[in-house]
Amino acid sequence: MKIIIVGAGEVGYHIAQKLSEENQDVFLIDKDPEKIKRITDNLDVQAILGSGTSPEMLKTSGISKADMLVAATDSDEVNLFACLLAKILNPVILKVARVRSQEYLKERGLFGRDLLAIDQIINPESVMVETIRNLMMVPGASDVIDFAEGRIKLIGITVKPDSPYAGRQLLSIRGMEGKVLVGAIVRGDHVFIPHGNDTIQANDLVYLVVRADELPHELSFFHLNDREIRSVIIIGAGETGSALAHALDQTKLHVKIIDKDTQKCATLAEKLERVIVINGDGTDKDLLQEENVNEVDFMVAVTGDEESNVLISLLAKGLGAKKNITRINKLTYIPLVSAIGIDTVVSSRLSAVRAILQYIRRGKIISVAPLKGEHAEAIEAEALDTSDIVNRPLSEVGFPKGALVGAVVRGEDIIIARGDTVIKPKDRLIIFALQKVVPKLEKLLTVRLDYF
Amino acid sequence: MHLQRVLRFIAILVFFLGASMLLPLLVSLAYKDGSTGALFYAMLITSGFGLLLFVATRRPGDTQLSHRDGVAIVTLGWLAAGLVGAMPFLLSGSIVHFTDAYFESISGFTTTGASVLSDIENLPQGVLMWRSITQWFGGMGIIVLSIAILPFLGVGGMQLYKAEIPSPVVDKLKPRISDTAKTLWSVYIAITALEILLLLAGGMDVFEAVCHTFCTMPTGGFSPKNASIGHYNNPYFDGVIIVFMLLAGINFSLHYKSRRGDLRIFSRDPECRFFLFLVGIFVVVVTLNIHGTVYDSLGKAFRYAFFQVSSIITTTGFVTADYEQWPSLSRNLLLLCMFLGAMAGSTGGGMKTMRIMLLAKHAYQEIFRIIHPHAVRTVKLGGKAVPPDVLSSIWGFFVLYLGLFVVAALIMASLGLDLISAFASVAACIFNVGPGLGSVGPMYNYLTVPLTGKWVLIFCMLLGRLEIYTVIVLLIPEYWRK
Repeated sequence: MKIIIVGAGEVGYHIAQKLSEENQDVFLIDKDPEKIKRITDNLDVQAILGSGTSPEMLKTSGISKADMLVAATDSDEVNLFACLLAKILNPVILKVARVRSQEYLKERGLFGRDLLAIDQIINPESVMVETIRNLMMVPGASDVIDFAEGRIKLIGITVKPDSPYAGRQLLSIRGMEGKVLVGAIVRGDHVFIPHGNDTIQANDLVYLVVRADELPHELSFFHLNDREIRSVIIIGAGETGSALAHALDQTKLHVKIIDKDTQKCATLAEKLERVIVINGDGTDKDLLQEENVNEVDFMVAVTGDEESNVLISLLAKGLGAKKNITRINKLTYIPLVSAIGIDTVVSSRLSAVRAILQYIRRGKIISVAPLKGEHAEAIEAEALDTSDIVNRPLSEVGFPKGALVGAVVRGEDIIIARGDTVIKPKDRLIIFALQKVVPKLEKLLTVRLDYF
Repeated sequence: MHLQRVLRFIAILVFFLGASMLLPLLVSLAYKDGSTGALFYAMLITSGFGLLLFVATRRPGDTQLSHRDGVAIVTLGWLAAGLVGAMPFLLSGSIVHFTDAYFESISGFTTTGASVLSDIENLPQGVLMWRSITQWFGGMGIIVLSIAILPFLGVGGMQLYKAEIPSPVVDKLKPRISDTAKTLWSVYIAITALEILLLLAGGMDVFEAVCHTFCTMPTGGFSPKNASIGHYNNPYFDGVIIVFMLLAGINFSLHYKSRRGDLRIFSRDPECRFFLFLVGIFVVVVTLNIHGTVYDSLGKAFRYAFFQVSSIITTTGFVTADYEQWPSLSRNLLLLCMFLGAMAGSTGGGMKTMRIMLLAKHAYQEIFRIIHPHAVRTVKLGGKAVPPDVLSSIWGFFVLYLGLFVVAALIMASLGLDLISAFASVAACIFNVGPGLGSVGPMYNYLTVPLTGKWVLIFCMLLGRLEIYTVIVLLIPEYWRK
């Protein structure tokens, strides 16, 4: 597939990286020579210096023969205009745009068939708000991903050194089979798909597949704090903070939102009913104490400045906040922060990368979520009746090393996979896979039919 | 540097080069030239060694190939290729001394075309074919070929590509580096096939047509004939080879872009225009210079001038005339041609037309700035601004090139070569031309150069082919610091 990406920021860069690793033909356009140089040095893609809103530039990048345009700059206007140009230059091209402004998003006519005809809008903020809300539902988790319309949850849990599971072999943990399955373990920079005889170690990030309706029960099994949360403090009333405040306004939670900007606070206060808006500095210790940070269940630091977010979270943790969620944009920071005591990290860029990748990987693969650490993915895919994997117990299917079926969705039923589970045609599978075996896996899921 | 990974790559390279001795082996079988056994053992030893080294090295982890690994693989890979290339010469007894065989082999891979052989026609056909094949591989690049063939390189391929491709700027034809390498090699193979056909059409023997083509396209200059192309004294062959030498001296991206027959691609490219302009000027001046003094007829003067200028400026090194006998102006112009070289991204050597253009433009800009101290100007090529770091890297290249040239020439002089021969031998090797002037002129060879001198020249050939930085960086202590 030939894909043109406009904007070589963090989002564009990571999408380009992912796609080039899958041997797609990627063209990346950016105005900044420094970024272009960095891309040429590090990625196997065609980096083009120029503006994504220049018709000339788009033509030189061969838009007439491209299959997809991903507009991923930081500017909504640039992204929309690039899509408009793409539509004129190549009416059949698929267009994915990153749009952040809530106002634009409300104008559905803008994206419709008559005007821009954008196939997919990616709004990282709303994806992130969704992620944060998911995390609030599972207070002990550092990552939560929904599959099968939310009926299956993938939960990333960091194993504390004092956890009874630290140092234990997976096989020796009884009572799990058929209910919970460990699908992937992230240890430092390294991700692997575990076997029964692998051991869980302290500080591992363990990904579990759980049925959503059994979640509370299973969480208690893992001794996670399942007390319902009651209070939340949000620091930063930018796009994300406001959207989160709006989303939580209708719930029973006690929510406070803190921001330095008086004007922003005033506007927000006009719109919100129950959320308390506080004008002040989120890094101010006295203010945080005044607002009872020591009793808060969730501290969400989503200011525009990632370094401040880290400091705010550490400060709040020191003052007694039970859990924190920190927004970080630089993806390279993500592996570092858990080492210094930050519970959970969200990133609008990671969200955007996830959303765009899900869109690109359509077809037999229904959705896909890169796991933290980036080298593994959870994939939701349909088992075709022509595939080699159906009608046989899983233990007999020749899965590539580094891939594992986590759960099977059959109509209304959800089966957490075991060795003797038999996959039927039309089942939807949740599969954990290392990035490098994804192509093999895609083949395995389809084979036979494609050759006739 | 990750030694395991570097060695593993070299192992694959050595195996592959060893296996490619199959073609000369078949040739020697066909001609029953008596070198079959030698070629067979050479093939067995080299590919066997490659295989052993491959088994002995561990599979590299997931870490990416760094820039440091890239230059190590390329430089050490070329040194290893030289060893592989020397095997058939040694085993067949064509060349007795190791230094001479290594010299011949490196001269082949770097497409220099400097030879230690005095009676070439006496060699077995299989060995001659191998000699031509080394040039053909070296022209588009053994590393670029590996990138095209080996699927697993990914991003690492870019580091290798940059380290081997002879150009100050990297022009990616396709989004993925392996596709770019494949494209370049396909263009190379297509033009090679065309030249073979044209030479056959003129009545050249199949073996000689293939050998000469394999040495024209990489601008190499080895010939299975003692008197090079002059052996035939045939205007048609001269003409075909002139055209293909010039084609080989043009950036191969342009050939690819003009594949649908759009010849304006060439005339629109400023570097190509300038390159052809230079060729034109030199041909005219040399023709006028040798007309009357060496050749009586204008037609003959033009034919020899055109051939020799094309051969030297593209750094091929084929000869049809003993230019040693030409007037001093012509000889000096040919020496200048060696230095200028062909276009960036071609298979030719020398400074490259693009660097010359950019240096001239940059120098003019500095003069301009004296007149208008506040003027804002950028150096442009074909309407595109050239980034300052490219310019400074070219200046660095220029200084290193001249510096190394002078040092090497002084060493050669200290070894007892006369002034002209010392300078010309280094020029002919560092610019990958082949024949020089004086005692290493077109009618002589490099056999008489002292042992140390040969190693200096081997080093010069590598410096020239890999464009200095890639080789020289390995000699800097900072490179080896962890």
